[in-house]
Amino acid sequence: MNEDMIAKLKENVIQGRKTQDDEGIDEDLTGPGVVELTQQALDANIPVAVIIKEGLTAGMQVVGEKFSTKEYFIPDMLASAEAVGAAMDIAKPYLEVSGGSTNGKFAIATVKGDIHDIGKNIVAILLKGAGYEVHDLGIDVPTEKIVEFVRTEKPDYLGLSALLTTTMVVMGEVADALKQAGLREQVKVLIGGAAVSIEYAQEIGADAYCADGFEAIKQMEAFQTA
Amino acid sequence: MRLGKMLIIGERINASNKSVGQALANGDKEFLQNLAKAQADAGAAFIDVNAGAATDWAGSSTALMEWLIDVVQEVTEKPLCIDSDDPAVVQAALKRYRGETVMINSVNAEPERLNSIGRLALERKTSLVALVMRDGGIPRTVEERLDAADAIMTHLVGLGVKEEQVYFDPLVLPISVDSTQGLITLKTIAGIKARYPSAKTVMGLSNISYGLPNRRMINRAFMVMSAAMGLDAAIMDPLDAKAMSLARVADMLTGEDLACKKYIKAHRKGLLVE
Repeated sequence: MNEDMIAKLKENVIQGRKTQDDEGIDEDLTGPGVVELTQQALDANIPVAVIIKEGLTAGMQVVGEKFSTKEYFIPDMLASAEAVGAAMDIAKPYLEVSGGSTNGKFAIATVKGDIHDIGKNIVAILLKGAGYEVHDLGIDVPTEKIVEFVRTEKPDYLGLSALLTTTMVVMGEVADALKQAGLREQVKVLIGGAAVSIEYAQEIGADAYCADGFEAIKQMEAFQTA
Repeated sequence: MRLGKMLIIGERINASNKSVGQALANGDKEFLQNLAKAQADAGAAFIDVNAGAATDWAGSSTALMEWLIDVVQEVTEKPLCIDSDDPAVVQAALKRYRGETVMINSVNAEPERLNSIGRLALERKTSLVALVMRDGGIPRTVEERLDAADAIMTHLVGLGVKEEQVYFDPLVLPISVDSTQGLITLKTIAGIKARYPSAKTVMGLSNISYGLPNRRMINRAFMVMSAAMGLDAAIMDPLDAKAMSLARVADMLTGEDLACKKYIKAHRKGLLVE
């Protein structure tokens, strides 16, 4: 019974059905969506950790695979991530009661001089759906503000985004400023965006280059098990 | 040669494209010249030139842009669309460019940049692409975009720039992320044309299809829909022969091709691809 509920939850994540009113990829799929199923599972006293891990996260993993093989496109991925994000909002109070925690604190910003936010927003939605506590610092964020956030809020991860070759260089400035403030070792810096490459990540001493949000999740999981 | 009403600005020479970025980093003149020529031959009215950030060998973004202008001018006399948001780079590029007709791409409603780039446009009598946004990102609504257009036009007219020099960019956000954005762009075009009949509108088409399959099909359809709203120019890939054909169709369907002469001429020359 419980297993059946979790399997249904996972399937609805894969289909991107946030609520019972949403159309899935398989048109015949009806009934409760991710939000309703999460509530039902909690009401049935299924441990919140099981719901998140075997339902939500397992579903998103499949979405990530389908996205990387180009079977899924951005709208598919966003629908699933938003469904999981909504489910996490429902699960959060239960998570706190059970003493469980999120996967970590993740701050994300588009660097100074760059106002592009689409890629950043997608990554933020995706990571929230993956169980991270996401803090979106916005676009055109001054380096000092990012450093200050790392100092006071102590995120585990810092994601930096830039679309342009002219603003990409600011990522290096952020890394340097963190180093100067003595904060570089306390946070993993991940960078991404159209102009950015793995070579550039190495050049500025970032901890990882991520081509998309799923790669960011993989990288952070690798940091956790390292 | 002007094929029709819809002005096609060739988008291919842009540093954010990986292979172009590579060519700029390596100083690969031949690659860039081939790209310029191919676009000119395909009927682009303007060639957009975006050099991006400085490379190791060029030292500064200004030096790189000057080099790129020289490289492109060696193979084509097509007017250039100088693509940079840095007034110093734009100024240097205008100095380097030998031709008469030129377009600056771009400014937004930020007063400082409007001042410096507006003055350059005034001096050189260039066309000027103006993004309908203020600081702090792309406005999500039609009203905010039209407000930004008002602020820009008031400022530019104050400097002495003429309404017809201004090409407003209504801004395009990916439909894959927000399904209302197609209509918002279309309504913004119509709104701008209603408020400023002598001003022009221009936009890059390909942003609309980001994150979706069959992108070129979406770009082409969006171009035709935008033409119906009054779009005057498209920053797009002129090497997409189907899109170029549809631009001629759009001219005809919006009454810009008297007695369908240009359309039929294009057909006789074998330029139309179904």
